[in-house]
Amino acid sequence: MRDDEPRPAEPRRSTRQINDDVDEELRFHLELRAAELEAAGLDPAAAREEAARRFGDVMETQRACVASDRERERTLRRREYVAELVQDLAHGLRQLRARPLFALATIVTLALGIGATTAIFGAADHVLFRPLPYRAIDRVVTLWELDRSGNAGKRPVSPGNFVDWADRTTSFAAIGLAEPSGSDLTGDGPPEPVASWRVTRGFFAALGVAPLLGRAFLPEEFEARAAPAVLISYGLWQRRFAANPAIVGRAIDVDGAKATVVGVLPRDLEYPGRKDLWAPKRFRPDELSDRRSSYMYAVARLRPGVSLVQARADLARVAGQLAQEFPRTNALLGVQALPLEEQVLGRVRPAFLILLGAVILLLLIGCANVAGLQLARGAARETELALRSALGAPRERLVRQLLTESLLLAGLGGLAGIALAWFGTQALVAMGPPRLPRLDSIAIDARVLGFALAATLASALMFGLFPALRFSRPELLPALGSGGRSTAGRTRTRLRNGLVVAEIALALVLLTGAGLLMRSFFELTANDVGFESRGRVSLQLFLWDRNPQPAQRLQRVDELSARFLTVPGVEAVGLVSALPFHPSQIDAHNALTIEGRPTLDTEAEAQVYTTVASPEYFRIMGVPLLQGRPFAASDRMDAPRVALVNRALARRFFPGEDPVGKRVSVGVMSAPETREIVGVVGDVRPTTLDSDPRPELFIPYAQSATGSVTFVVRTRGDPAAQVPVLRTKLWEIDPEQSIYHAATVQSLISNTLVERRFNLVLLAVFSLIALVLAGIGIFSLISFTTGQRTHEIGVRMALGARPRDIAGMILRDGLKLIGPGVALGIGGALLLTRVLAQMLYNVRPTDPATFAEVGVLMALVAMVGAMIPAARAALTDPMRALRQE
Amino acid sequence: MEDRMTQLLRGTLHALILSTLAGGPLHGYAIASRIEQRVDGAFRLEDGALYQALHRMQARQWLRSEWGHAENGKRARFYRLTSKGWRQLDLETASWIRYVDAVSKILRPARA
Repeated sequence: MRDDEPRPAEPRRSTRQINDDVDEELRFHLELRAAELEAAGLDPAAAREEAARRFGDVMETQRACVASDRERERTLRRREYVAELVQDLAHGLRQLRARPLFALATIVTLALGIGATTAIFGAADHVLFRPLPYRAIDRVVTLWELDRSGNAGKRPVSPGNFVDWADRTTSFAAIGLAEPSGSDLTGDGPPEPVASWRVTRGFFAALGVAPLLGRAFLPEEFEARAAPAVLISYGLWQRRFAANPAIVGRAIDVDGAKATVVGVLPRDLEYPGRKDLWAPKRFRPDELSDRRSSYMYAVARLRPGVSLVQARADLARVAGQLAQEFPRTNALLGVQALPLEEQVLGRVRPAFLILLGAVILLLLIGCANVAGLQLARGAARETELALRSALGAPRERLVRQLLTESLLLAGLGGLAGIALAWFGTQALVAMGPPRLPRLDSIAIDARVLGFALAATLASALMFGLFPALRFSRPELLPALGSGGRSTAGRTRTRLRNGLVVAEIALALVLLTGAGLLMRSFFELTANDVGFESRGRVSLQLFLWDRNPQPAQRLQRVDELSARFLTVPGVEAVGLVSALPFHPSQIDAHNALTIEGRPTLDTEAEAQVYTTVASPEYFRIMGVPLLQGRPFAASDRMDAPRVALVNRALARRFFPGEDPVGKRVSVGVMSAPETREIVGVVGDVRPTTLDSDPRPELFIPYAQSATGSVTFVVRTRGDPAAQVPVLRTKLWEIDPEQSIYHAATVQSLISNTLVERRFNLVLLAVFSLIALVLAGIGIFSLISFTTGQRTHEIGVRMALGARPRDIAGMILRDGLKLIGPGVALGIGGALLLTRVLAQMLYNVRPTDPATFAEVGVLMALVAMVGAMIPAARAALTDPMRALRQE
Repeated sequence: MEDRMTQLLRGTLHALILSTLAGGPLHGYAIASRIEQRVDGAFRLEDGALYQALHRMQARQWLRSEWGHAENGKRARFYRLTSKGWRQLDLETASWIRYVDAVSKILRPARA
C-alpha cells in the first residue's frame, strides 16, 4: 500500500506542542512495556524499573526527538511558505489576467514613476555624487578677475595679473594657468581638429591631477626650445589610439610637427573644460605684462592650514597693490576665488536636485494612483477575501497574499521602469548639456539598479501595504452577507478621496514648476540679441604663432577673406576679435579717456570692452548703424585712427551729447592712441540671452591686427554644411593653421540655452505625466464610485431625475475633490517654487499668471477625468440599473 | 557476541524500521516488538535509540506520523512510510544485499 493518496496538510506545531507530543509518546511506550512485563509476572515497581532500563537514557531520547521534530517543522514551514508564495503569485497573475486594463494601468504608471526616478537618479549619481578625479578637491580654488566697473562680473585672467598674484600671494602651494587653444592631429587616421589647453608648470599640481599613464610635464619642457610634448585625454586615447598604453613615449603629429605623448590624463577631467590635448604653455615675450586681455583660466591649491577666507584676503591685498601700481587697468579690478567643486558642479547641482525632487513627486503620484486603483479594485474583491477569511485564512496570510500581489505588480512595473530608464538615460546623454560634468559616463550600473530595486520595493509598500491592511480586517466579514454588493466603508472612501486630492495637488506643484520654467524660457528667447544669426558661420582662429607680425596677420586675413568668398553660397565675409555668444570669446577691456575731460578719477570706471572688427562685420551681423558712418576699407594704418561705439557706451559716456566726432584715447594691444568716434552702432547681448549689453568700442581690424580673430561668413543654404568647405579653403592657404572653433552662429545662441532647455523639457515631461496620472486618478475614482451607485442612480431616474441632473450630481462629487486638490497644490507650489528662483528669468517664483494658468489646466484635466464617468452615468438605463443586484 | 550484533544493527536500524513499517502504520511500541520478534532475541536494542531513529527519519521525511488509538484505547503516535520512505527502503535493501554478497564472497571464497 503506497502512501500516495492526497492527505490534509499536517497542522503546524509549536515547540511546546512538540515537547508535549514527545512526552506523551514516550510515556505511552514506557507504560505499555511495564504493563507487558507485569503481565509476565513482575511486580509493578520492578516492571517499571525494567521498562526504564530497557529504554535507556530517557532525557537524551526526549531531547533528540524534539530536536528532530523541530528541524522537520522548520522544513515544512519553509516549504509551505514557498508553496503559498507560488500560490499567491499564481493567484496574482490570474488576477492580472482577469483585469488586464487594471494591470496595464498599474504597470505603466509604476514604470513611468520608477523609470523617471531611476534615470534621474542615475544621472545625478554620476554627475553629482561620485568623487571627481582631483586630489583633495576641497583645497582647490579657481581664480577669476572681478570687474567692478559696469556689470561684467567675473572673467578669466590676464597673464600680467596672474604673474603678480602668483608671485605676491603666500596662500597657495601650487598655482597654474590654462589657455584655450586648438590643434590638428594628423597621422594615426583621418586629420582631426581637437580643442586643447596650454598649461603652465603649476597647473596639474594645483589641480591635483596625476596622469593615468606616463607622467606630467617636466620643468624643462616649458623652455622655449624644448622638444614638443603633449598629454592626451582619456577620451582621445580611447578613440584615436585604441587605448594602447604604448602611446606613451610615442611621437604624434600635432599641427604638422612631431610631439611626444608623455602621458594620458584620467577621464572625467572637467576643468577648465573637457578637451583632448594639453601642451606646455610658452609665453610670448610681451605676453607676461599684458593686463588687458583676460583669456586664461587660473587654478590654485591652498597651502595646508590656509583657509579659503585667508586666501581671499591674501588675494585682495595683492589686488589692492596692483590697483595702486597699475591704475589704468587695475583700479577697479578684484579677484574672485571660487572652490573648484562649486565651479564644476555649482550650476548643475541645484538643477539636478530639483529634477530629483520632481521625479520623486512623480513616483508619489504614481503610487497614490496605483493605491487608488488597488482600493477601488479591492472593494470588488472584498467578497473573495471575506470568504477566504471565513474559511479560516488568518489575517497575516491575507495581508501576505495582497502584498505578494503588490510586489508582483511593482516588480513588473520596476522591470518596465528599468527598461524605460535605460532609454531615458540614452535620451539624457543625447540631449544633456555638453558642459554637464561626466555626461558621457552616465549609465545604468549596479548602483542605479540597486536604486531601482529600492524604488520598486518602496512603491510596493506605499501602494500595497495600506490597502492590504485595510482589506484584511476581520470586520469585513459582513461583506459576505450583502449578496456580493459590498458596503464601502466611510474611512475607505475618505482614504480614496484623499489620495486623489493629493495626486492633484502634487501634479499641480510639478506643473507650476514647469510652467515657471517655460515662461522664463519664452521671456528669454523673446529677447532680441541685437544681431542676425541665421545663415551665419563663425570660424575662430589664433593667428599669432603662424603670423607673428601685424602686417603678416593683416595680409593673411585678407587672403583668407578673399578665399572664403570663392566658396559657392558665401555672400560676405567679415571678422571680429570677440563674437557675441562665442564660448571662447576673447574679451579685451581698456580704460577709455575722453579728450577734454579729466581722466584720473574716472579712469578706472572708464573700462570699456574693446573689440576689433572688419568693416563687413556689422553688415554681416545685421548690427545697425545708428549714427555717423560705418568703418570703411580706407580706415587703414596710414589713415586717421577711428572708432565706432555701441549705444550702451554712448549712453554711459555721452549722455545727451552726440558722440560722433568726439576724440577718445584707448589702448588696444599697444599704448593708448587717440581715435575719433565716427559712428554709433546698435547694442548686442554679449554672452547669453539674459546678459545686458555692455559699453563696447570697436576699432577697425586694419588699424589693430590682433591674432585672435573670428571670421563670420554669411552664406546661402545650410550654414553648417559650409564649415568643412571653409576649413579646406583655410588649409589651401596655410595647411598648418588650426581652427580653434567652428560653428554656426545660431548654434552659439542655442548652446547657451541647452541647460535651460534640458531642465525645462525634463520638468515639462514629468509634469505632463503627473497631469495625466492625476486625471486618470480622478477618472478611476469617479468611475468606481459611480459604478457603486448604479442602483441609486436607477432609483433617482425612476423617480424623475433627468440625465443632466445625474451628470451634475456626479460632477459635483468630482469638484469636491478638484477644489481642495487645486487649492492644496497652489499652496504647495507657493512654498516650493522658490527653489527654482535661480533658474527663472523675468518671472517671479510666485508669478500669478503662471499659477492661474496651471491651476486652470489642472482643474480642466481633472474635470475631463470626472466628466467621462458622469456622462456614462447620465446614460444609464434606469430599468437595467434597478435590476442590477 | 551480542554487543557486536547490536553494533551491526545500529547501522541497519533504519532499514529494519522501514521494512517493519512496510506492512502498515504502527506505533513505536509495536515497531519495537516486531523487530524483537523478527530478530528472535538475537540482540537487544535500547528502546530510546528506536525513538531517536524514528524522529530522525521523520525529519528526513521518510516517515510521517499522526496520533491514533492503540489497541488498549490510549493515544499513540502511529508512523507510516512516505513515498520517500518507500524509495529509501528499496535503496537500503538493495545495498544491504550487495554488502552481504560481497562480504560472503570474501569470507567463504571456497564455496562461492
